[in-house]
Amino acid sequence: MSAAAVARDTGARLAAADAAGLNATLYWSQELLDAEARRVEALPADSSLHGMPIALKDNIVTTDAPTTCASRILAGYVSPYEATAVTRLRGAGAMVAAKANMDEFAMGSSTEHSAFGRVVHPLDPSRVPGGSSGGSAALVAAGVVPAALGSETGGSVRQPASFCGVVGVKPSYGRVSRFGLVAFGSSLDCISVFGRTVDDAARVLAAMSGHDPLDRTTLDRPSMRRPEPRRDLRGLRIGLPREYFPADLHPGVAAGMERARRATRELGAELVDVSLPHSAFAVPTYYIVAPAEAAANLARYDGVRYGPRRIGAAGGIQALYQATRGEGFGPEVQRRILIGTYVLSAGYYDAYYRKAQRVRKLIADDFRRAFTGGVDLLLTPTTPTPAFRAGEKTGDPVAMYLADVFVCAISLAGLPALSLPVGRSEGLPVGAQLIGPFFEDEAMLAAAAALERALGADAEVR
Amino acid sequence: MSIGRDDVLHVARLAELAVRDEDLPRLVDQLNRIVDYVAQLDRLPAEAAADPQAGESDPDDPFLPGPAQVTLRDDVPGPVPLARPPAEFAPEFAEGFFLVPRHGAMEDL
Amino acid sequence: MAWETVIGLEVHVQLRTRTKMFCGCRTTFGDPPNTHVCPTCLGLPGALPLPNAEAVRLAARGALALGCTVHEISVFARKNYFYPDLPKGYQISQFDQPLATRGRVAFESPERGRIEAGITRLHLEEDAGKLLHDRFPGKTAVDLNRAGTPLAEIVSEPDIRSPAEARAYLTTLRQVLVYAGVSDCSMEQGSLRVDANISIRPPGETALGTKTEVKNLNSFANVERALEAERTRQIGLAETGGRIAQVTLLFDAGAGEVRELRSKEESHDYRYFPDPDLPPLVLAPGWIAEQQAALPELPEARRARLEADYGIPAYDALVLTGEMDLANYFESVVAAGVEAKMAANWVMGDVMSSFNETGGFPVGAPRLAALVTLVRDGVVSHQAARRIYAELAQHPDQDPRAAADRLGLVQVRDQGALSAWVDEVLTAHPGEVARYRSGEAKLMGFFVGQVMKRSQGKADPKGVQPVLHERLSRR
Repeated sequence: MSAAAVARDTGARLAAADAAGLNATLYWSQELLDAEARRVEALPADSSLHGMPIALKDNIVTTDAPTTCASRILAGYVSPYEATAVTRLRGAGAMVAAKANMDEFAMGSSTEHSAFGRVVHPLDPSRVPGGSSGGSAALVAAGVVPAALGSETGGSVRQPASFCGVVGVKPSYGRVSRFGLVAFGSSLDCISVFGRTVDDAARVLAAMSGHDPLDRTTLDRPSMRRPEPRRDLRGLRIGLPREYFPADLHPGVAAGMERARRATRELGAELVDVSLPHSAFAVPTYYIVAPAEAAANLARYDGVRYGPRRIGAAGGIQALYQATRGEGFGPEVQRRILIGTYVLSAGYYDAYYRKAQRVRKLIADDFRRAFTGGVDLLLTPTTPTPAFRAGEKTGDPVAMYLADVFVCAISLAGLPALSLPVGRSEGLPVGAQLIGPFFEDEAMLAAAAALERALGADAEVR
Repeated sequence: MSIGRDDVLHVARLAELAVRDEDLPRLVDQLNRIVDYVAQLDRLPAEAAADPQAGESDPDDPFLPGPAQVTLRDDVPGPVPLARPPAEFAPEFAEGFFLVPRHGAMEDL
Repeated sequence: MAWETVIGLEVHVQLRTRTKMFCGCRTTFGDPPNTHVCPTCLGLPGALPLPNAEAVRLAARGALALGCTVHEISVFARKNYFYPDLPKGYQISQFDQPLATRGRVAFESPERGRIEAGITRLHLEEDAGKLLHDRFPGKTAVDLNRAGTPLAEIVSEPDIRSPAEARAYLTTLRQVLVYAGVSDCSMEQGSLRVDANISIRPPGETALGTKTEVKNLNSFANVERALEAERTRQIGLAETGGRIAQVTLLFDAGAGEVRELRSKEESHDYRYFPDPDLPPLVLAPGWIAEQQAALPELPEARRARLEADYGIPAYDALVLTGEMDLANYFESVVAAGVEAKMAANWVMGDVMSSFNETGGFPVGAPRLAALVTLVRDGVVSHQAARRIYAELAQHPDQDPRAAADRLGLVQVRDQGALSAWVDEVLTAHPGEVARYRSGEAKLMGFFVGQVMKRSQGKADPKGVQPVLHERLSRR
């Protein structure tokens, strides 16, 4: 199929998704798709992603479409430069198909916190697709695109991948350049990938990974290659951290995990019990570290140099700041800025930020000890429940934060992890999480491919 | 620790966020809920936070998810180019300058 | 009652790099606004800082020149505040782990002689942009060309005891940094800026009084004036039972007064934390040692060497080393064959005047050496040489000897011409001739002067005297 034909088909699917009320995109146009197809047709036909349409979460900057982060404070903003990851994907033959809806500035776990309306779960309109990369997840789950970029700060790709029944891969921190990813929590942020299959996600990840001189937190190590899928898991020791299998785990998730565990054993892996005691503190640690970094990262939205400006009744520069930011940021973003400002402010730094930094190290040390102790990979549920109902958690910020209880620790530790569909519970997808040692993304993906083939995603588990 | 009205107004001022009076009580509640929640880190004993396993390493040495040290750039001109000049994205721009409401040369904010 | 004044200074110097601290934009002065900007220094969404190796090298070099310990690990931190000249809403600086700590500056105090002031710390940071308040009615204009320029902030201990000492400290600090090649240290171009902290206390008291901070000091002279004004204000308050509040003040050079800045308490809660975009700055001990070894000769060492090697007076060595360029020039003139004291006199005279005016050397060292040699060889007089110097300064490609010829300043030694001028003078002053002959020998000077005048300075004074003697001894 020619790139031009793919572009036309993709446009038709995007239009259908819009018509179905998914609200998964913030921008797309047939003109842009057609221009992408023309550009791609000039590239060598054997480029690794030749003609693959990809959606981008709307916090990844491009020069030919707006980048709003689903926020009024960036309404209409078109970046004058392009993210490194996008440049690399385009160079590999991918076509940018759409900018995907998201929780505002990637803050949320349900994609209900978009200034431009919530994203609807493709399988059940009453439910959320997860978040914050819910638009990207929904587009892949609905079959609109084979792969999409999301971003992770504390599970924002793995959690919606699990809710939507697609593959979601978060690479090791420092694997993919953050240059052009709008910053939320800089020490946590990772551009991450959704794919229909492990291989789709792995190909995209391989094409955009590698050291970038424009991001000093990328590692100067050889780029990731598309992993050779394993046929079995013989010789692998896979750890089951007991803290990730609480007694009150949702029965559907528990059944899904049982299925994953059985498949893993049948593929020849040895399953071992491990402990990650400090993971219990991951969510509170995350909700100090990430807002603190976010409060500083979001200070640049001040209405001075770009983005819409509000003048404020009192006049003067301070009224401009407060009106621009007060009206431009939604409630969840404002809450996090306030918390982040609070935990760094005079008198509270030691009690919150410094303490959280120490606990973060303890959390990371737990993983390091597990992996140096002879475990090759870890297997856990991705989420405590399948997709919840829209509105179910919007009244209580902490209840929403707990949707990330199994994914947060990995982000704090900077490790590679993915969510793989393992079946359905009452029609809703359930995901299992595989976690690898730092920079062992390829080995993790190779094992996931074997598990993927053994499982088949659509089986009802309960 | 609990957050009061004045704390919220103080941090809102530091963060340059206008908070409407009618939103304040709800915000105080929600921030308290979050602060109470993250305060569970206090349940970790101080010794645990100092990590006996780490031996000689300072508990305040940060955990670094990426490279252990920064790499430096050569002092050679060559910025990432702008596809569009500031005039095209600035909210108010004249004669090469970004403009904001006047505040005196000798005023603090 | 007498009061002791306690002063500490915070000095920001712009490091001499080609590009900014965290991006590849050029560091320039005076270009059209917002023409040296990029995603990083505009603070665009998604842009990241890319630290400049040369800025790190220069800051380390400056720190070593000030005797600081340069740390193997230092950390970039975000200093959070809102201001229209600060694109990201935070400044990347260093906080609890600075590049360098614990140095010193030795300098001449006008009151206490040779003393040392401690350097608390030297850290790296980025500059803010420029605000123009007068260009657009009702608007403040923002130019971000300067935003992101690399700075070293140098904080002194509160070891300075008077406004005049503050000025002397700054003069010496500036010299050291210029010698080390770290910064141009030009206050006019804003590449050196000073904030001062000042407090007073009764003599013998060891605790510090409440300090105030004085900003907007645009010359070393104004630092001294502003601190005098603030000291007077504080003493006035203390002696009338007033309370000195911890405030920030701006110096109004026109009025010679300090004025309180409107200030709110929370504006000082900067919420520093390590910048997650920048891993720690790690410098190998070997690299630090290399920088130490590569330091050029610093002012103190050079002063001692000039005194010892050239046998010039201590005062001359002090003046010549005041500016590194002057000292270099002096040594070039000596190397070209001029006697050292003679060279020193010239450099401290006409050369320094033109240096102070233009910041440069209109007459190159070899040319000055050639000119001074003409004086030594009696080809031109000292007075004539100064006129030739002025001529050369206007027309730098001229040869000194050719200029002397063209201006008719070559000294006349021809006996016939000298005799003619002498005879004219003696004929014109018969009274003085008679007095000389009756024993008033000191009139010889008068006759020489008259001959020089009549010859319009061209007569060689050494040739004039024998002729006068010969004529006056004839009866």
